[in-house]
Amino acid sequence: MPEMVDGKRIFTLSEVTGSIQKALAARYSSSFWVKAEMNKLNHYPHSGHCYPDLVEKSEGRVVAQLKATLWRDDYLRINREFVKVLHAPLKDGITMLFCARISFDPVHGLALRIIDIDPVFSLGELEREKQESVTRLQEEGIFGRNKTVAFPLLPQRIAVISVETSKGYADFQKVIQQNPWGYKFFHVLFPSLLQGDRAVESIRYQLARIRKVAAHFDVVAIIRGGGGEVGLSCFNNYTLARDIALFPLPVITGIGHATNETVVELVAWRNAITPTELADFLLQRFHAFAQPVQRAEEVIAATAIKMLGETRETLRHTVRYFRSVTRHALLDNHHAVNRCSDDLVRQSGLLLSRARQSHTASYVRLSSASAMRCTAARTDLRSLDVMMRKDITAFLRSEKSVIDGVARTINHLHPVNVLRRGYALARINGKIVTSTADITVGATLRTEFADGAVESTVTAIETKPKDEAAREGREGE
Amino acid sequence: MSNKEPTYTEAFEELQQIVAEIEEGQISVDELSEKVKRAAVLINICKAKLTSTEQDVNRILKDLDQTAGELPADERSL
Repeated sequence: MPEMVDGKRIFTLSEVTGSIQKALAARYSSSFWVKAEMNKLNHYPHSGHCYPDLVEKSEGRVVAQLKATLWRDDYLRINREFVKVLHAPLKDGITMLFCARISFDPVHGLALRIIDIDPVFSLGELEREKQESVTRLQEEGIFGRNKTVAFPLLPQRIAVISVETSKGYADFQKVIQQNPWGYKFFHVLFPSLLQGDRAVESIRYQLARIRKVAAHFDVVAIIRGGGGEVGLSCFNNYTLARDIALFPLPVITGIGHATNETVVELVAWRNAITPTELADFLLQRFHAFAQPVQRAEEVIAATAIKMLGETRETLRHTVRYFRSVTRHALLDNHHAVNRCSDDLVRQSGLLLSRARQSHTASYVRLSSASAMRCTAARTDLRSLDVMMRKDITAFLRSEKSVIDGVARTINHLHPVNVLRRGYALARINGKIVTSTADITVGATLRTEFADGAVESTVTAIETKPKDEAAREGREGE
Repeated sequence: MSNKEPTYTEAFEELQQIVAEIEEGQISVDELSEKVKRAAVLINICKAKLTSTEQDVNRILKDLDQTAGELPADERSL
């Protein structure tokens, strides 16, 4: 019972806790279903009991928090169900629907005693946020976008988003800096929170910074490690996953956990399970570059030597072959020339003698034919001469008699002879008169005879009629 | 073949091309000497790239500072 001191009613702590216990037992007599996120399972392997931390979040902020108890037998039964349904044991960071009862222990305080957990609900809740992000990115057509960014041949310049003091970052640096092949990397740390409420905005802020200097880098590496399985839900955040999907450089992740891949890891160009594996991946890329170069060196050198050797050998064979072939060819040609020379001499001698014979025959035929032809021509000429002489004499004789006749006629007709035969010529003023019409009375008429002439004066003119004159003219002929 | 120094990516691709040509026997002895010389240059470029970087952190930080003013004030303290 409470004691009274100075008018104050004073309770012991156990009385208070006992009162709370009684009041709660009266108020919460039955079990009920609760939805909450289990931030941490807090399983104690020694006792087998669990003391989960339950939280409720609204827009990323914790709005309610309560401890819970999960006794060993309940835990084992529920865990079996989880493995069966979720293919994973009960674990931190899942939202769950559970059946619980308020319990208050004077020593351990207020807690929800978990009697049962619905594994199907947890499965759905866990996947819901993740699936929503995935679906939205897929609907926007950007889910696989980062994977289509061309990966550089040598991912040498790395923008690292990590926590400077984290084990994951240290592991990563150790692997790439101490690689035994002397590969050289360049990396700059962009420090960021990687779990908890502010991780999303912190990573996005650093992505925005890297984007501004993206030309200096080949890849972005998000490296976490040592943080266990807690607080991975930020990597299922839609806005963060979207930034990564749309990032202009390939984003590679080494977040270091054993559960299903988060959305960020799904959209990343490449997801390695741990930071060490991520560093190995980069080294593999370097190998993939270095090995062909090494091989090129070997192949080119070996092939060049082989080709030169083969060519030299071929050349030697060719020279030998050429020498023998040319020698044969020369000999063959020499023989052929000799044969031709002999043939030429023989054939030309034959042709010459044949031509000579043919010439002689032609000469004989030609001279006999021309002699015959000369004799015939001479005979012809002689007979023609005889005939010509005969013809010329006869022709001359007949022409002479014709000329003699003409001469006699011409002699008879000479004016002297005509005048001797009694004809006279009458003239007036030197002009011969043949008609009375030309004469006038009193004109001096000169009459010429064979032996001279007289001049007389005309005293009378008698003119005969014309037809009589004509008739007399005809009779006188 | 350009006169300027090829990037390591170009060098790598050209080198692979030469190896392919040589392996397929497409190269004559006449071209061999030139190809081998070229390959040696390309191999040196590739090997140098593997074991050295020319990055300057200060330049990147300078570039970042130039654009830092565009970010919200509360995020700059991160």
